[in-house]
Amino acid sequence: MASATQAAIFGSLFAAPLHTKPRSVTIRIRASKSSNPPIVGRKLRAAVIGAGPAGSSAAEALAAGGVECFLFERSPSGAKPCGGAIPLCMLDEFDIPARLIDRHPNEFIAMLRREVLDSFLRDRAQSRGASLISGLVTSLEIPTSSHAPYVVHYTKDNARHALAVDVVIGADGANSRVAKSIKAGSYACAIAFQERIKLTDDKMEYYEDLAEMYVGNDVSPDFYAWVFPKCDHVAVGTGTVCSKQDIKVFQRAIRARANAKISGGKVIKVEAHPIPEHPRPTRVRGRVALIGDAAGYVTKCSGEGIYFAAKSGRMCGEAIIKASEGGERMIDEDDLKREYLKEWDAKYITTFRFLDLLQKVFYGSDAAREALVELCGDEYVQRMTFESYLYKKLADGNRWEDAKMVFNTVGSLMRCNILGKKMEGLKL
Amino acid sequence: MSISMALLSPSTHLPSLSPSSYPKPLLTLKPYLSLRPKSPLFTTKASAENGAGAPGSAATAVEAEPKVREPAEPVAVKSGSSGEANGSAGPAAEVEVVSLFEDARWVNGTWDLKQFEKSGKTDWDAVIDAEARRRKWLQDNPESSSNDNPILFDTSIVPWWAWVKRYHLPEAELLNGRAAMVGFFSAYLVDSLTGVGLVDQMGNFFCKTLLFVAVAGVLLIRKNEDVENLRKLLDETTFYDKQWQATWQDETPGNPK
Repeated sequence: MASATQAAIFGSLFAAPLHTKPRSVTIRIRASKSSNPPIVGRKLRAAVIGAGPAGSSAAEALAAGGVECFLFERSPSGAKPCGGAIPLCMLDEFDIPARLIDRHPNEFIAMLRREVLDSFLRDRAQSRGASLISGLVTSLEIPTSSHAPYVVHYTKDNARHALAVDVVIGADGANSRVAKSIKAGSYACAIAFQERIKLTDDKMEYYEDLAEMYVGNDVSPDFYAWVFPKCDHVAVGTGTVCSKQDIKVFQRAIRARANAKISGGKVIKVEAHPIPEHPRPTRVRGRVALIGDAAGYVTKCSGEGIYFAAKSGRMCGEAIIKASEGGERMIDEDDLKREYLKEWDAKYITTFRFLDLLQKVFYGSDAAREALVELCGDEYVQRMTFESYLYKKLADGNRWEDAKMVFNTVGSLMRCNILGKKMEGLKL
Repeated sequence: MSISMALLSPSTHLPSLSPSSYPKPLLTLKPYLSLRPKSPLFTTKASAENGAGAPGSAATAVEAEPKVREPAEPVAVKSGSSGEANGSAGPAAEVEVVSLFEDARWVNGTWDLKQFEKSGKTDWDAVIDAEARRRKWLQDNPESSSNDNPILFDTSIVPWWAWVKRYHLPEAELLNGRAAMVGFFSAYLVDSLTGVGLVDQMGNFFCKTLLFVAVAGVLLIRKNEDVENLRKLLDETTFYDKQWQATWQDETPGNPK
């Protein structure tokens, strides 16, 4: 007992000078385990705003780690307009049961409905101990002094409530209110527009094991259009960043392109949603962290966001657990940056950068898209692409084949660009 | 090593070469068909009208695909149609007949090279021209596509030397000419200003730098617009990275918790 108090005194002795160390240097050496003050009498309280894949994963990690977690969701039964494709590694890493998946060829992409996935993840977070609050968060009050709590103002059942917490995770999507509250800055968004079309059975059979992607200036000047099968209907849509006002024109064009395969179908729903194009200028401020779409973790080129949302949620939750030592200590901005942001950037920035490069190179013009289609004919390319996409890991390649691949990319691009230039001079 | 790492991170658009099959159109069919069972569709064609007359074997090979295509796999860049091969297809009742790409030499989703022969050898220039016209047509008249009539032609069918002869050589001649003119006059100028002769110039570091700049300039700046384009390109390549690093720029001394 005495030694414990001695240790505590010792600890705080060490803690004090380190706490006041000037912050102008970014490298800080801590002699003690943590300089954060321990919380007495309760666990760290965290609020996760938004219970999609990101929020639910964060809440699950937090609750499992011993932090008192409140999960806010304004429309638990809503269906987010979304492609609904998740890579294989997500099924493993997040233990997604097979029964949730609408289309599951056992090797490639799993396609599911967002409402199904979201409610599964949310329920699991709840079972781990997160408290789900069905209400709309209206504002977040930033504390004026350090260690004072954040106050989350929300409306539930037509009544206004407030909740004081120590840490806030913003997982509320592309139009994040949390991001606004912490003045995180804004980002450029693409708009994704899709129509859900119910087809006749024979036409649905065509899409039994097939998802399609269409490229071309007619369907999108800087992205792709798609026909993705769902459980009993297909989602036909397109997206764009630079020509949002023409989205309806592009949608008509994709309907025309896929006409033979979807004609006679009935449109059962029309939906649209913004997709962030890049991370927000600030992703962590104070004891507030952004994850998922709110942070802007959507890859270019494929527009994939579900896996990264869930993963960032989990990593953020685990970072908080680690920094707070299981909810025992208060955390600060540096903890969030060090344990969450730094880890995240180190892990995925190359992926994001690479996809950005691909988007620039291959989506820029029709000539480049032709080259892309040509290049994707090769089996080696397909294999490497799929494996990398599905497992989010560098696939085992063969150096010679890789060299061939690079060589052929350059060749294809050059040839198709030549043809492109020739096309410009033609008038048919 | 790092290059291949960068190339192989998750993405859907990795480049590759279709099986090299230069002058033999028949061979191209095989490699494509054998790819079918495993590969997601990357080229699909067809016209609505041709649905009925779809080539049987191609169709079965196509349907055999058991895999869901990865969402980012392009399906049809330009939907083409196999016009002639199936004769005039029976028009589908409900679909408006959109005029399709038709050409006597476009057979079964590829160019019939036998029809391009000139004095016993394939006239590759004509093939290139024909392909350009086809793509231009499709750009202006995008077609409804299907997997029943795949496009089998791609630019690698035209042999590399045909491309070089037609497009690289004239440009190379131009650039070499420019480099020679710039080089000659720079050498003369330096000589008249400093008295250093041509051979001695080559041994001087500053002159070698000038030479490097001249060569790079001739290569990179071919048109007036290129100067602006290069600058924009540089900005673009670093822009995304800047956006990611933005959150780290916030570190200011004494930032409050």
